[in-house]
Amino acid sequence: MRDVLYLAWRYLVYNRLKTVILVTSITLIIYLPVGLNVVVEQSGEHLTARAEATPLLVGAKGSPLELALNSLYFSLDFPELTDYSEVTAITDSELATAIPLYVRFRSRSQPIVGTSLDYFEFRDFEFASGRPMAVLGECVVGAVAAETLGVGIGDAVTSSPETVFNLAGVYPLRMKVAGVLAKTYTSDDEAIFVDVKTAWIIQGLGHGHQDLASPDAAASVLDRSDDNIVANAALVQYNEITADNADTFHFHGDLSGYPLTAVVAVPDDEKSGVILRGRYADEDANSQIVRPVTVIDELLDTILTIQQFIVAAVIIVGLATVATAALVFMLSLRLRRREIDTMLKIGGSRPRVASMLLAEVAIVIVLSAMLASVITLLTWRFGPGIIESFVLA
Amino acid sequence: MIALARPLTIAAILMLLVACSSDERAPASDAEKWAMPGVYAVNYPLAYFAERIGADSVEVAFPAPADVDPAMWVPAVDTIAGYQGADLVLLNGAGYAAWVQRVTLSQSRLVDTSAEFAERLIPVENDLTHSHGPAGDHSHGGTAFTTWLDAGFAIEHASAVLNALSRLQPENATDYRDRFDGLEQQLLSLDQALKDIASRIGDQPLLFSHPVYQYLERRYALNGHSLHWEPGVMPDERQWRELSGILAKHAAAWMIWEGRPHPEARDRLESLGVRSVVFRPAGNRPETGDFMSVMHENLQALQQAFPTSP
Repeated sequence: MRDVLYLAWRYLVYNRLKTVILVTSITLIIYLPVGLNVVVEQSGEHLTARAEATPLLVGAKGSPLELALNSLYFSLDFPELTDYSEVTAITDSELATAIPLYVRFRSRSQPIVGTSLDYFEFRDFEFASGRPMAVLGECVVGAVAAETLGVGIGDAVTSSPETVFNLAGVYPLRMKVAGVLAKTYTSDDEAIFVDVKTAWIIQGLGHGHQDLASPDAAASVLDRSDDNIVANAALVQYNEITADNADTFHFHGDLSGYPLTAVVAVPDDEKSGVILRGRYADEDANSQIVRPVTVIDELLDTILTIQQFIVAAVIIVGLATVATAALVFMLSLRLRRREIDTMLKIGGSRPRVASMLLAEVAIVIVLSAMLASVITLLTWRFGPGIIESFVLA
Repeated sequence: MIALARPLTIAAILMLLVACSSDERAPASDAEKWAMPGVYAVNYPLAYFAERIGADSVEVAFPAPADVDPAMWVPAVDTIAGYQGADLVLLNGAGYAAWVQRVTLSQSRLVDTSAEFAERLIPVENDLTHSHGPAGDHSHGGTAFTTWLDAGFAIEHASAVLNALSRLQPENATDYRDRFDGLEQQLLSLDQALKDIASRIGDQPLLFSHPVYQYLERRYALNGHSLHWEPGVMPDERQWRELSGILAKHAAAWMIWEGRPHPEARDRLESLGVRSVVFRPAGNRPETGDFMSVMHENLQALQQAFPTSP
């Protein structure tokens, strides 16, 4: 049997171009439906697992998908903004724990997630090193974000301006890394977590500056009257919160009107969740409440429909490829008629020659199957991340 | 055949490597937990109310050093970590302890004990406004925050503490209610005693060494004027001149101090016809006694200053 396999292998190696084409074709035909299935199923599991772990999301009326994708996976597009009064309203209802989310800014490509410590408890974070942020201007970075940005405890990350060309816009804020999270294998690994008030400072809603009444700030005063001081553009506004200037940072007006992208509502029990959802049932309300799992299921249904079309197409192409491969083998037999006759004349029995030809086909199929398995495993390992990044982009 | 075995082996190893690189999470470590629910407060009155109502079912912490004003104190990061780990953080509200705005705490554990009477808080006007950038005019004025000097508000603070503790430990709610009732009775007695003294004081002008008595002034209809004098510090000449101007319009015979006044200041005030009486706000934990004993000392001091007519 070994000699049969050896001859078959030597034939395939000698005709390597033909072998490579055959193996590639059959590999693709095996891989495409299987790989696609793996990707869709795994992406579905990843997306659904995160959605299932997040009971309810409250946000401004608008696209539920945008609200869910921004809140669960920190996607680039942020939904219509709600405000902090939503957190107070949910907390006051005593039906759920309200966790603010303000996912709008980035540091390079990493999302900056403005939230409260409740989020850390809710997601059950473990720290690889350091501690939670304690004061404004501190941040906690996810495991992947720390690697990508090359930062650790005591280093700083800087927020990226929303628009490069808006010179009068928000200045970048330098934030000190207080902790690095252990890997969670979720989108939290990519994020930089800050207190929601720090996110408001990034936006310029809170700020720290020189005391305008002090002599040091004289050069920054444009106009001074008994009851009002107008500062000019030279007023020093701090772009880093330190122990020395922390007490100069302040917010104006009522914080309940400050923006959020969403509020995660964690109901005390199922009944509380139903009651809470009922409170947002009014179609005229400015806010909406969504079950992320419902939104993600709808998204997956769309993806599954597309998948079914693709699989049908692949099956048709697959049948064509199998027919072509059979044709290639049959034509190959004709071309090899003299070679087969020679083998019979030098003493090869018909069954052994047939075995050798079948072994060639078997080796091609086995190699294709193994290659398809390897690619499928790679897809299983890295596919969901790639697909999620496509979906979120 | 060896040539055939090699690619098969490589493929098998590759498959194994890919399979082995799947998700592996580190085992979760046990977080530090309190032996019993931990309650942190931003001032001593709230810590006292929590200690009285919660008794031995909760661990109450008020970590401000004894020599600071908790309203102006800024805790170190280690202390903030303590607040972060607490099951409840009792806030006074009214802008008290501004550091709370500049730190990260679990929103769900914060209890604003003055939320129920927020609309009755006293705003402190800061006449000076400023503007820079697109935000427009704004001032950094605030709210009077020594709220518990109004015994009615003190009861409402204690009631908020009661509700928060009852939510935290529903199984102890009845005990908490009983203890709250006892505390409420004491605060109502204090309130009545202060009202009696206030009726004796009537409309006579008073001076307050510091602007921390706004709620006492309003609750008990006192005719006071606040200075910015520190107990234990001899005021400078500018402050004395300012006082003379005030006395010309507001002929006070008594000044109410947060703490024992500097002896020279006390004597010079007496030479101006102004006598001193100490009424401690008890924002921080007293060296001896507790909140109620400090309030009774305050009461005694006022009763001596404004005795019942024979």
